[in-house]
Amino acid sequence: MSEKHERVVAALELREPDRVPTMDLISEFSTINKILGSKPSVASKLFANPRMGWLLDRVLPYTKNLDIADWEISRFAYHATAAMAELGYDSAWVNYLPVFRYLSSTRVEDIYGRYFDIAFDRVGNLSTPMYRGGLISSQEDWKAWDKRAILRLPERAYRTYKRIQKDFGDKIFIFGIFSFGLFENTWQPMGFERFVVALRKEKEFVRRVIRFHADLQCMGIEAMADAGLPGVLFGDDLAYRSGPILSPRTLEEFYGDAYRRITETAHRLGMKIIMHSCGNTSSLLEWFCDCGFDGVHPLEPTAGMDLASVKQAVGDRICLVGNIDITHILVDATREEVFEAVRQAIKDAGAGGGYILAPDHSHPDMSVERLRWMLEAVERYGRYPLNLEE
Amino acid sequence: MEEYLEKVKEAVANLELDEVTPLLKEGLEAGIGAVDLLGAMSQGMVKVGELFEKEEYFLADLVLAGEMMKEGLKVLEPHLTETGVEKKGTVVLCTVKGDIHDIGKNLVGTMLTSSGFKVVDLGVDVSEDKVVEAVRSHSAGAVGLSVLLTTMVNSIGDVVSALKSAGLRDQVKIAIGGACTTQELADRMGVDAVGKDAVEAVRIFSSWFN
Amino acid sequence: MSVRHERVLAALELKEPDRVPTMDLMLEYANIYEILGKRPLPLGFLYSNPYAVRVMDWVFPRLNQSFGVDYSMNAFTYDRTAASVKMGYDSAWVIHVPIYRFFDTKRAYDIYGRAYDVTLDGKGNLGTPMYREGLISNPDDWRAWDKRDILRMPEKNNRAYRRVQRDFGDRLFIFGSFSGGLFEITWQCMGFQRYSVAVRKERKFVESMIRFYTDLYCLMLEAMADAGLPGVLYTDDLAYRSGPMFNPRTYEELFGDSYRRITETAHALGMKIAIHSCGNVYQLLEWFCDCGFDGVHALEPTAGMELARVKELVGKRICLMGNIDVTHVLVDATREEVFAAVRQSIMDAGKGGGYILAPTNSHGGMSVQRLRWMLEAVEKHGRYLLEEDFN
Repeated sequence: MSEKHERVVAALELREPDRVPTMDLISEFSTINKILGSKPSVASKLFANPRMGWLLDRVLPYTKNLDIADWEISRFAYHATAAMAELGYDSAWVNYLPVFRYLSSTRVEDIYGRYFDIAFDRVGNLSTPMYRGGLISSQEDWKAWDKRAILRLPERAYRTYKRIQKDFGDKIFIFGIFSFGLFENTWQPMGFERFVVALRKEKEFVRRVIRFHADLQCMGIEAMADAGLPGVLFGDDLAYRSGPILSPRTLEEFYGDAYRRITETAHRLGMKIIMHSCGNTSSLLEWFCDCGFDGVHPLEPTAGMDLASVKQAVGDRICLVGNIDITHILVDATREEVFEAVRQAIKDAGAGGGYILAPDHSHPDMSVERLRWMLEAVERYGRYPLNLEE
Repeated sequence: MEEYLEKVKEAVANLELDEVTPLLKEGLEAGIGAVDLLGAMSQGMVKVGELFEKEEYFLADLVLAGEMMKEGLKVLEPHLTETGVEKKGTVVLCTVKGDIHDIGKNLVGTMLTSSGFKVVDLGVDVSEDKVVEAVRSHSAGAVGLSVLLTTMVNSIGDVVSALKSAGLRDQVKIAIGGACTTQELADRMGVDAVGKDAVEAVRIFSSWFN
Repeated sequence: MSVRHERVLAALELKEPDRVPTMDLMLEYANIYEILGKRPLPLGFLYSNPYAVRVMDWVFPRLNQSFGVDYSMNAFTYDRTAASVKMGYDSAWVIHVPIYRFFDTKRAYDIYGRAYDVTLDGKGNLGTPMYREGLISNPDDWRAWDKRDILRMPEKNNRAYRRVQRDFGDRLFIFGSFSGGLFEITWQCMGFQRYSVAVRKERKFVESMIRFYTDLYCLMLEAMADAGLPGVLYTDDLAYRSGPMFNPRTYEELFGDSYRRITETAHALGMKIAIHSCGNVYQLLEWFCDCGFDGVHALEPTAGMELARVKELVGKRICLMGNIDVTHVLVDATREEVFAAVRQSIMDAGKGGGYILAPTNSHGGMSVQRLRWMLEAVEKHGRYLLEEDFN
């Protein structure tokens, strides 16, 4: 096991490593390209070119089942890993989500029945599509929905991650993810208003959809384990900035068993699993521990998450991951501010291990320079035994 | 009648999804005024808001209550226009340019409607010109801007300056809300208030129109 | 719901249907072609021609065979279902196993790591390949084994079953199927000797394989349920002629949780699930019930399974399926013998419902004429309310 692996595993097992490990989740082409010195991809150029719109609108509807986006998406995953290894992170959350179907120059659908707007960053790269609504409004729709592409996800994940693990597995601890979370995948294809009604009136329907995704998740985790990945990132946004979207009781009622099955599957395969939920998750932290997750990310300061009190509350049960702000610190802060933010985070959560320093999220306007400063600061303040003096 | 209205209020407050519509229909048939029934529902909604603030109800419950309000309004609306209800005021709502998240904005819209406001919902990804136009044509007294994406916060400033240059800034109050909004951002952008959730939004807008 | 569906469901739920339902397990080209009146591909001719064999031996290892295998297996699954409908069965075990790959004209392997001898049925068709040995003998082999084809099975199942369910689902209760049970698939890819050692010494390794396939089968169940199938026949040969191959306690340790998870998943998806195991399964019957299976199939008379005794032991807990002999009765018996065998089975197990009449297995030598007699006999003896048949 490499030094980086040991470091990450130690933190996840709540032991003290040689230094606070780092993780990133770069999921934007602009950041990757800046790090690797590459240019926007052909696909990005095609979509960004206003004259191509006419052509794309006529060609793309016929390619719905051709998975042409898969090539771009697996290339993206590979390059994202390369970029994070290049910057010197200890671990990386690598997104491989081959679910999108580009239907015109402006509209994207995915294999789960959601539709999106195509989005670009400022330099003309394709960015994460923006969710607009769902196409599945009833149990009949769900039954009739063609699930072949969904059922292929484990195989695709296996194929792509095997390649990534082979080339980068010794340089960086990889957390894989191949599908969206159970909560997101149940509400988004329906739309939120429809979903909250279904939660009351069509419990069996909702349960069935959850079961489907839980079974899919387990198989995907098997596939990723087989590809050699040491970790899983389970991303499911359960909260918004002031608290959980559903009551913790409802979450347990509908999702508890499925969550436990997923973490248990990962553990039986010898993998670590981190829960990612944006928003203010204070009232869910205990539940994450009970569900068996090894780590929790991102603990956003902008959503009111105070790292020191999280450490106090659950620091002895779960590894804390994240907490470096992406609205200001990693965008336009000074070097001193970045160093101070890192120092403060390590001070709040680093004692005794059990903390992995990472940004909260990823967006196209993040500054690579500041990511470098962040890593420098970890080298300076993150060595155990901790010495946080200036 | 009081007892009956209490029942409607309780049904909304307890999120009894299937009870509200039949209750309203029965009430109308029994000769209870649509305005009174709407009032009872609004009171129920207030209670939902209180429970939400006590953290007994969650966002999903709030949205569910909103859906119940919509169902209820469908039943009551034909009767409401006949009697002509006075609106508290007009609010223009939208998600700013570049952003398309709408759950929060829709919820605020429903809650404001049920509290007696006239709501002009411009949808998502709305440019500053459209906001100006809507404020002018509806002579709105307030604007609510929703923004979730950190990268799109500057769109708020665009709306503010567009309203200024159209000479409408003094006539409207502006509130913002959404994942990336803070008091600091509100100050920087020159808006009047920031709300942390839909319940607070109703409180803010109500204070401006009283 | 069609009459046939109701009939099969009633039996599986241990209620009395209008008549004893029937199930088909035909797995051989010869029978299918005979029933459908199709001409077989001249494969037998090709395989017996030395020049053709030489060409194929050169081509096979150099060819990506998945496309061809998929195509022919889809056709098989479809024809096979059509044949069951044409015969007038109430239900059928429909396999869809696009898993074989050929080293050459003599030897084949499958995507799970099992090696076979290629067989011909003597009538010019390929027979079910004969298992020879395993290709995975240790954890490293297992890790290195390319799993892409395995991971595509849920999607392939979904596609093929959706098609047969759409075209035949209203006339036939279709039981979908995996490519072998957890026990079979894990021992066969290692070989039995190696496996029996591994179960003792490398329990973790064996368990990790079982877990992998359990997760796979749960997703396959999702795929089948989504295709609209009402049932699944889970096939796992746990016994031989004189009893279970492993200690029943070991079975529980190794497979208990997985079996329960599989039946629970099937039930949550609204499907029925029956277990098929050849051999003498007396010692396992209670366990099958505890694991939540709705039915148990084969109950081979030639392995010493007496239907009346099984009915008495577990007839109140699980639906009995099968018991019609395929060594003599469905091969070369007289019409009277076939009728007598059917009558006897119905007398032994039919009372009050909870019995589905079916052959115990399928092989190339079975006679379509005798299968027809069997179905006729069920019409005659299997009607409920006709008390005289029982007397």
